[in-house]
Amino acid sequence: MAKLYVKAVPPADLNRNTEWFTYPGVWTTYILILFFSWILVLSVFGCSPGIAWTIVNLAHFAVTYHFFHWKKGTPFAEDQGIYNRLTWWEQVDNGKQLTRNRKFLTVVPLVLYLIASHTTDYQNPMLLFNTVAVIVLVVAKFPHMHKVRIFGINADK
Amino acid sequence: MIAIPYLTALTTYFSYGLLFAFGQFRDFFRKIFDWCSANTLQGYAPICLGLEDFYIRRLYLRIQDCFGRPIASAPDAWFDVVERYSNDNNKTLKRTDKISRCLNLGSYNYLGFAAADEYCTPRVVDTLKKYSPSTCSTRVDGGTTALHLELEECVAKFVGKPAAIVFGMGYVTNSAILPVLMGKGNLIISDSLNHNSIVNGARGSGATIRVFQHNEPSHLEEVLREQIAEGQPRTHRPWKKIMVIVEGIYSMEGELCKLPEVIAVCKKYKAYTYLDEAHSIGAVGKTGRGVCELLGVDTADVDIMMGTFTKSFGSCGGYIAGSKDLIQHLKYTCPAHLYATSISPPAAQQIISSIRVILGEDGSNRGAQKLAQIRENSNFFRSELQKMGFEVLGDNDSPVMPIMLYNPAKIPAFSRECLKQNVAIVTVAFPATPLLLARARICISAAHSREDLIKALQVISRVGDLVGIKYFPAEPTKQQQEGGKTVKFD
Repeated sequence: MAKLYVKAVPPADLNRNTEWFTYPGVWTTYILILFFSWILVLSVFGCSPGIAWTIVNLAHFAVTYHFFHWKKGTPFAEDQGIYNRLTWWEQVDNGKQLTRNRKFLTVVPLVLYLIASHTTDYQNPMLLFNTVAVIVLVVAKFPHMHKVRIFGINADK
Repeated sequence: MIAIPYLTALTTYFSYGLLFAFGQFRDFFRKIFDWCSANTLQGYAPICLGLEDFYIRRLYLRIQDCFGRPIASAPDAWFDVVERYSNDNNKTLKRTDKISRCLNLGSYNYLGFAAADEYCTPRVVDTLKKYSPSTCSTRVDGGTTALHLELEECVAKFVGKPAAIVFGMGYVTNSAILPVLMGKGNLIISDSLNHNSIVNGARGSGATIRVFQHNEPSHLEEVLREQIAEGQPRTHRPWKKIMVIVEGIYSMEGELCKLPEVIAVCKKYKAYTYLDEAHSIGAVGKTGRGVCELLGVDTADVDIMMGTFTKSFGSCGGYIAGSKDLIQHLKYTCPAHLYATSISPPAAQQIISSIRVILGEDGSNRGAQKLAQIRENSNFFRSELQKMGFEVLGDNDSPVMPIMLYNPAKIPAFSRECLKQNVAIVTVAFPATPLLLARARICISAAHSREDLIKALQVISRVGDLVGIKYFPAEPTKQQQEGGKTVKFD
């Protein structure tokens, strides 16, 4: 099998916390992790595919909301705290909106929502959980929500 | 431009994701246990955010035996590496009395001056007796000797600039100069892979910082046009001055700067140029004068030239070379000149002597031989590695040679296996490099003999097969080619 090579170009982004997302292969890895998580949930819990997709969707919601929209700063002391007030989502692509990576990260929860709802045949209460998760995630990713802290929630004085 | 196998990229992301997940998992339970213990002071904010040392605690400590290895001799072509052991999974490392005699592929000993030299060392010893180990003073206090003046004149002449100023520490040469030259209302355009000293100096200056894509003069022009059109933030007034900062050889890439193109763009848009030759001065060029000589750029076209003495000259410190007015201004205002201890007189003598050897003023042609040797060694080693199927970054004539590893598990595997075969190699990983692009960085020296390089190639080839880092097909050897012809005749 011939190896498939991709080209990696160092981007003009100095933030080590977000620079890795601009290299090739990230989208595929992201999708593969979701898919293998679904298989893992199916194997461990032995539930129906729809319930497994719902669990994956809710877990994806919890993990990505925490790491992309709640946790602030970078795990490197060399940055000297210049990103301590910004979430990962506000740091990515130097804060530029409507980039390809931001669009991809907005589409993923929507597609997950459609898969989970369709495979659970749009039954409650799974539909309610999925709908709440997708609304929160997509609203948090709007360009208008850049650096917005509703009622000061998660704001640092 | 680095070619990565796609499957390797996917597995690298997965590996880092797994390491990150396990680290966060352990941090989560650590927070629970710490909260239950309730030992902390009440009402005090934490002095250090736990997130800021996450990388050190959860990733670096796992493989810290592969970094910062102590040595017990001068970093010549062969040196002594002290063996260490750990009883708690690398959280603490303890030294033993045992040493390994290893082939040194990790030091920036480009011209071989890191060990004793027949011309330089006796003069350094004489200077030690005459002047003392240190002046214990700043340059403006009592720390300027005749040797310092001679060194500055020697450096200016060597580099090809009217004047130069010398500092005792290489890192400070960048981090203390940029705040003096640039300030509020100025613009710094920096290559995305510039050294941390440049990054910190630019941050400390208060100027606006913009970054252009690594070694892309077209993107530099794009950024310059955009920033000149927009002007300063909010007020949109014109910039007071603009400076573009590039490096001669990028230490993590081994790439030479595209200096003629960068100079052309800077001249077009009336921007100053700042050239950091920390690695390239003394190592490239026909007479060791750096990338300006190698790439055919007149030194008058580069406004500020910076370099260090810690690599090719076997000493310490750095210099800034430029016009007489610039150097005079720096001598009045630069904190590294006003407050820091001046360079040690024996270290200064080492620099003067090594420059004389390079220029052939010691009465022999050893300098020219060293320069030819490092060029020949570098090109031989690079071509052999590429023939074996390694992904090797950098340009021809560059003595810095990164071999791509990618996967985080291959960083300690490659480093440890090479050390077992008595080859000392420096591995570099995130966050010093991008997440996807971990590498082993090999530095070639003029002190390496052909036998040394062949032994290193054999070890690296064997370990490369063992670890699985030959990502390209190897070139067929001559015997296979002849065999192919023979079969064809049949």
